Amino acid sequence: MSELIACHGCDLLVDISDLEDNCRANCPRCGHYLTRFQHDAMNRVLAYTIAAIILLALACSFPFLSFSAGGIESVMTLPGAPGSLILYGMPTLGALVAAFIIIIPVMVILLMVLVSAPLLLGLRAPWLRIAARGLFTLQTWSMVEVFIIAVIVSLVKIASLATVVLGISFWAYAAFSICFTLALATLDRYQCWEMIEALDTAK
Amino acid sequence: MNSTGVTAVDRDLANCHVCCKLSSTTMHFCPRCGSTLHLRTTNSLQRTLALLITASILYIPANLYPIMVTEHTGGTTVSTIMGGVVVLVQIGSIPIAAVIFIASVVVPMAKITAMFYLVWSVSRRVKEGRRQRTKLYVIAEFIGKWSMIDVFVVAILVALVQLKGLLAFYPGIAAYSFSGVVLVTMVAAESFDPRLMWDQIKNNHHGS
Repeated sequence: MSELIACHGCDLLVDISDLEDNCRANCPRCGHYLTRFQHDAMNRVLAYTIAAIILLALACSFPFLSFSAGGIESVMTLPGAPGSLILYGMPTLGALVAAFIIIIPVMVILLMVLVSAPLLLGLRAPWLRIAARGLFTLQTWSMVEVFIIAVIVSLVKIASLATVVLGISFWAYAAFSICFTLALATLDRYQCWEMIEALDTAK
Repeated sequence: MNSTGVTAVDRDLANCHVCCKLSSTTMHFCPRCGSTLHLRTTNSLQRTLALLITASILYIPANLYPIMVTEHTGGTTVSTIMGGVVVLVQIGSIPIAAVIFIASVVVPMAKITAMFYLVWSVSRRVKEGRRQRTKLYVIAEFIGKWSMIDVFVVAILVALVQLKGLLAFYPGIAAYSFSGVVLVTMVAAESFDPRLMWDQIKNNHHGS
């Protein structure tokens, strides 16, 4: 039996019926990534996702960076970064930054739970398709890993002016970004939708 | 894994861009996920080109206007993106200067140039290097969001350092234009359909 997938890079039809566990398929013509099969992918996705939720909750509740110069001390929290842009006259940009580093990642994480949990438990959840659509549309727009690098750059920029200390939140957010990236990398678009379809057609 | 030697179009199949299901080209919506089906991204080249021109125009104010305003005891200083890189070099933070320079100058320029070249190569029906150009597209698509570093740095510094009269940072107008460049180029990369490069194999064959 053949299982056909069309390459998103060049439209070639490729038969991936003999793809083995833990193997990924790339297009033989253009080299574009096709899919990757892991029998326990959803297990991993849910595990990374739960870890990511806990870490993000931590990251939002403690100081991210603290700064002291001449006896004056100030701290920054994670929501404070976009918040400051809103406060100092750039509400649109603030909203955009909030979306990239907090809102979209939170939505992606929640959608991941809504998709991976029913697939793992074999539950025919009514929201499965709409959640998966949202998930695959939003995932391109999350910038958590970019923000981590930006924090390190900021640190060096003002290190000569004052003492800057990384807070608990920074480490939580860095760990969150690792779990988040792993969850996204493990969740394969093609395999996920095949599972959704298999669940719906099963008796 | 075996190539069938034919494309989805050859078999009148449309590949859903959301869920990868193959459906007959007569269908308008994907039966699996409900997304709109199209054989190729609609008006891909025109849309990509329009967005690239927009990004190039936005890139000018992004570099000319200040991205951050610093208020200190001696008054206020404004810094542009390149100004920020120069200051970092002067204080000796070469690696960080390199990170900012690559993220804010090299990446957007390389991405815009690469995308212009890809659009040009499709419109001129360039035959050579399809595989390399597909690779170039994947890289251009991937690197885009890293340009946001500088805007995030501004957000962090503004949030962290607010010592009135002593030292305070405020966002500059270029932060807007620069985020515009990043957003518009990301949408441009999504609008470009790399399959157009490969479609010409068939078209050329039929033409000759």
